[in-house]
Amino acid sequence: MRKCRYCVQMKAMNRNNRKGGINMDIDILVWFPIAAGVVIWFWFHNRQTQKDRDIAANSVSAVIAVELAAALVIYQGSIGFRCFFSVFIIFAWLVTALFSKEYMKNDTNVIRYHFFNLMTLGTTMGVFHAEDFFTLFCYFEMMSFTSFMWVAHRQTRESAYAAGTYLGIAIAGGMAILMGLFILYVQWGSLSFGSASSAVYGMINNSTELEQNKTMLYVAAGCLFVGFGVKAGAFPVHVWLPQSYTQAPAPATALLSAILSKTGILGIALVSDEIFGGNSGWGMTVVIVGVITMLVGGMRAVASSNFKTTIAYSSMSQIGFILFGIGMATMLNDALDKMVALQTLTEEVVEAYLCAARGMILHMINHSLVKLVLFLLAGVVFLHVGSYELNKIRGFGRKKLFLMIAFGIAAAGVGGIPLFNGYVSKTLLHESIVIYGSLAGEQALVAYTQEIIYWIEILFLVSGGLTVAYMTKLFAVLFLEKNQDESLQRTYEEKKQYMSLLSKIAMIVCLIPIVLIGVFPNGVGGAIMDFTWVQDAEWTFYLASPTWDPHNLDMNAVNYFSLGNLQGAAISIAIGAVVYFLAVRLVMLRRKEKGYQEIFPAWLDMEKYLYRAVFYTAIPFVLGVLSRILDSLVDTIVIVLKKTVYRERKLPYELPEGNDITHKLGQSMENLNKLSCIIKKKKYEPKGYEHKLALMNVDLVENLRIIERSLSFGLFMFCVGLGLTMIYLLIVN
Amino acid sequence: MKNLILLIIVLPIALGVGLLATPERVFAQRKQLCIAAGACMVLCGALAVLALCGVGSDTLVLFRLIDTIPVYFALDGLGRLFVGIVTLVFLLAGLFAFSYMTHEKKEKRYYGFYLITYGVLLGLGCAGNLVTLYLFYEIMTLVSMPLVIHEETREAIMAALKYLFYSFCGAYMALFGIYVLYQYADTLDFVAGGSLDMDRLVQSGNTGLMLVAAFCIILGFGVKAGSFPMHAWLPTAHPVAPAPASAFLSGIIVKGGILAVVRTVYYCIGAAFLRGTWVQMVWLTLAVITIVMGSALAYKEKMLKKRLAYSTVSNLSYIMLGLAVMTPEAFTGSMLHIVFHAIIKCTLFLFAGAVITATGEGKVSAYAGLGRKMPVLFWSYTIVSLGLIGIPPTSGLVSKWYLGVGSLQAEAAGGIGVFTWLAPLALLVSALLTAGYLLPISIQGFLGEKREKEPEKQQNKKQEISKEPPILMLAPIVILAVLTIVFGISPFYMPLIDFIRSFSAGLL
Repeated sequence: MRKCRYCVQMKAMNRNNRKGGINMDIDILVWFPIAAGVVIWFWFHNRQTQKDRDIAANSVSAVIAVELAAALVIYQGSIGFRCFFSVFIIFAWLVTALFSKEYMKNDTNVIRYHFFNLMTLGTTMGVFHAEDFFTLFCYFEMMSFTSFMWVAHRQTRESAYAAGTYLGIAIAGGMAILMGLFILYVQWGSLSFGSASSAVYGMINNSTELEQNKTMLYVAAGCLFVGFGVKAGAFPVHVWLPQSYTQAPAPATALLSAILSKTGILGIALVSDEIFGGNSGWGMTVVIVGVITMLVGGMRAVASSNFKTTIAYSSMSQIGFILFGIGMATMLNDALDKMVALQTLTEEVVEAYLCAARGMILHMINHSLVKLVLFLLAGVVFLHVGSYELNKIRGFGRKKLFLMIAFGIAAAGVGGIPLFNGYVSKTLLHESIVIYGSLAGEQALVAYTQEIIYWIEILFLVSGGLTVAYMTKLFAVLFLEKNQDESLQRTYEEKKQYMSLLSKIAMIVCLIPIVLIGVFPNGVGGAIMDFTWVQDAEWTFYLASPTWDPHNLDMNAVNYFSLGNLQGAAISIAIGAVVYFLAVRLVMLRRKEKGYQEIFPAWLDMEKYLYRAVFYTAIPFVLGVLSRILDSLVDTIVIVLKKTVYRERKLPYELPEGNDITHKLGQSMENLNKLSCIIKKKKYEPKGYEHKLALMNVDLVENLRIIERSLSFGLFMFCVGLGLTMIYLLIVN
Repeated sequence: MKNLILLIIVLPIALGVGLLATPERVFAQRKQLCIAAGACMVLCGALAVLALCGVGSDTLVLFRLIDTIPVYFALDGLGRLFVGIVTLVFLLAGLFAFSYMTHEKKEKRYYGFYLITYGVLLGLGCAGNLVTLYLFYEIMTLVSMPLVIHEETREAIMAALKYLFYSFCGAYMALFGIYVLYQYADTLDFVAGGSLDMDRLVQSGNTGLMLVAAFCIILGFGVKAGSFPMHAWLPTAHPVAPAPASAFLSGIIVKGGILAVVRTVYYCIGAAFLRGTWVQMVWLTLAVITIVMGSALAYKEKMLKKRLAYSTVSNLSYIMLGLAVMTPEAFTGSMLHIVFHAIIKCTLFLFAGAVITATGEGKVSAYAGLGRKMPVLFWSYTIVSLGLIGIPPTSGLVSKWYLGVGSLQAEAAGGIGVFTWLAPLALLVSALLTAGYLLPISIQGFLGEKREKEPEKQQNKKQEISKEPPILMLAPIVILAVLTIVFGISPFYMPLIDFIRSFSAGLL
């Protein structure tokens, strides 16, 4: 059994729950990149020549390669989702590291970027290896902070703004998680995965359990959902996402989208798995959030006139699909539970459950692959154009075959075109809701009507259509249309060396699986799903309740290219075509001479006019005013007392300057001075000792008075205390 | 060595008085004064460490006030914790002072009172009964005042007077409570779990009065701990002191109030008596209000030192909250936060001293871009800031975890009503605000650019502040920042928690 333990706090709190000695293997994967990052920082941060920078970039790649090799050795023989995804994380890091050598060549602060890049790798590994919620939280928070520097990297006003939002919402999300964990720990007594799912599941479904405790669990799960949803980019806490993705350097954005958003997904999946193993109410909540997320993301992506923002919203939309899968798996799990109880288990429903759960996992991987390619491509474009505005980059890709093929494959992959990977996972997800819809008639199994399920299915297909529409938009802009500025177009077309070989290799490595999964859905895609979906409890999540074991059920080969399944894709593509024509051709390009124009009105910006207004301005203001009042409460009373009861009486006469002693002393000193002058035969100058002494005296008297007054007040309070004591003594005796 | 416990208290006081009495001309050069003061500090600190390690006896009766009330010292678990953290901060803030005080006048007086204050604080920590504690509590107020008043500006004098006024008010309030307590307690010695004679109290029918008395004690000693509504002295008095003195005041001396509250509530009155009464409810209310109010005011504050002082107000009430909840986990959280907050707040004030020395400005907006010139200083600051917010892997999270879990567990232990969830919520809201008032300084420091207002002046200053502060200033800050991380990692804080549990077991 391998465990990653940052925090033995849990061990101390529930010593019984944890067993076995410390296995350092996993910890090495976490701490090696962090240590390497520190070393690289110290070695290179004062060396800024081009050669040193190259060496630094190469050593970062080397570190990640070593990490990959180490991971492969350590994971030898183990299977499961998190094992697979950890290797995938390092792979993604390696790809972006290879690419960033070219991308960051002329950037300032490269070493800082490398440092935080490696730190984030380590902490992300920690997130995926945590064995309890607390450890997960610790690494999750560290990851938020190290990745903050990605967003802030460029140090422009915009990036500072985006980073401010990123950090604020990340900390708020972290606090929400912490609150959820407080409650969860108190209700449940442990936070480790696996051991607990039965306990919490029992609590939720136990009718004798106190209603209050159940409510607390729901609150806890809600807090965790919000906290993890922030990182995933779920509606309505996605507001940080578009700007942060747009502002971070391209390789960092690729990782933000491909990997870091998945940590949020991991958290939500774990909450759904551990707490709500089979609870259709929870499942429905996640599905609805997922559908809204994919719709909002898709619509904003279509409406955007910025290349990178479009892909950023696309990420959000795809995250919606994954959330949808988590929710569907939970709901189908509930149905299965009931069927087991009623002894009416059918193979079709088991199939649907597996479709949802496995499709969700496959979609995570598919989305990561696609987004790696797309964001790296965005980086290439940015390197040469210096902007992400659609009007500026229009026509950049013409006569660049590699760029076109790469982008085409990635776009088709995310768009769900048959023969590419997105089609496979989206088909699985679609399949699950179709079957769930057919169950919906039976009251005993499904609490929702057929209409609701039907509408969700339609929205699902529409979201798929939106994906097709915005990908078509980008493809057309880059490769089909010509720039309005003809001289610019000519320079674009003359550019032949737009990408180094290394970057091309990095991209190709990501493109191959996209095609392979799409062409051999049962061979390659099925193998990945089998690999991630295994009986080893340590390494996978089931999204299943403990009352039945999904692992005994094998999934039959799905006929992906049957007419029924292709129909779903066809509907999406048709919707996509219509949306593209209406939204992009007619609305965005409504004025030919101005090119692409943003559809979405700026004043509807939720981030700026809702979140920032409320959380950065309104709440601090109200809190500040209230606090100011409370703060000055006692002081005000003191001042009021001073002005009324304890008012200083006006002095009946001016304070005399000095008294007899000072006068006499001063006079005699003056005389002495005079005498010494006479003796020394110097010219006598009056030194005014008398006056000086008098002034000193006044000073002293004034100071004494200040002290006297406040002391007298203190003494008065003392007397009140004594008086109370006296009264008390009188009463007692 | 048998009387070591007395020695560690008396020696710093004697040395301090000696230093004060020594004529100015003995120390012809500043260096000599520093060496003399430093030697005194190291000697006193080393003796305290020896006493902590168990050398010498743990109890000593000094003299008897009246037959039944001795003035005596006893070093128990809580006392050890307090003495340990006092010594640590005392030595590091002292080290910082040697470099910082170069541009202050009357250094000798500062070191003298600094030593005396240290001795008195040890006396407070070692006090074996309530009378001794009260005695040292009052002396602490008096001898720490010269630290506040040090700069002798009108502002400082007014602040010191406010400090005295509030402190005495509180102390007398507590004194009233102690009178009543004495009537019904078997003894004023500290007994784990309290020594209140419940039979006698119930028979006399004065339970209500006893509750009032308990509340007076909490409120009275709470003044020192910056508890609302008597907190106003703290943000006035702490910022006017020299930076190392602020660090000592804000990190340690305020904990004297906390210690007094723990001693009376948990060692004299007993938590069982207060649990579920209106006193506990009001106490919780005040703590929650203070937590949010302090953070919100800090968030709005522009002057760095004042911002930190408000932050102290808020954080001290974390501790008060944990004490008021009265569950074992929350109590552990409070004790942890005493230690961690002392470390963190001391660092923050030392940082303030360092940057204010470097820039000559007290406003937080003046530190933009400074982090690139003083990376070590600003990294240390960032680490302790994360600690105060409670971001892993720093110590702040540990104490926050125990406080949060502890208050949620109170539901099973007897019930604190709405505070079950309101208390952790307040902690987290405050943590958010903490992030809001601490992190922008380091973000601006590393990433921001100083706004060009007066280009010429700017140029001069830039040349001045092109490097890190001197090593004597930097070393304590770095050490404390490292401690903040170390205590956030389990192998290092687990022994501490075990130690706290060893003496808190009998209290609840």
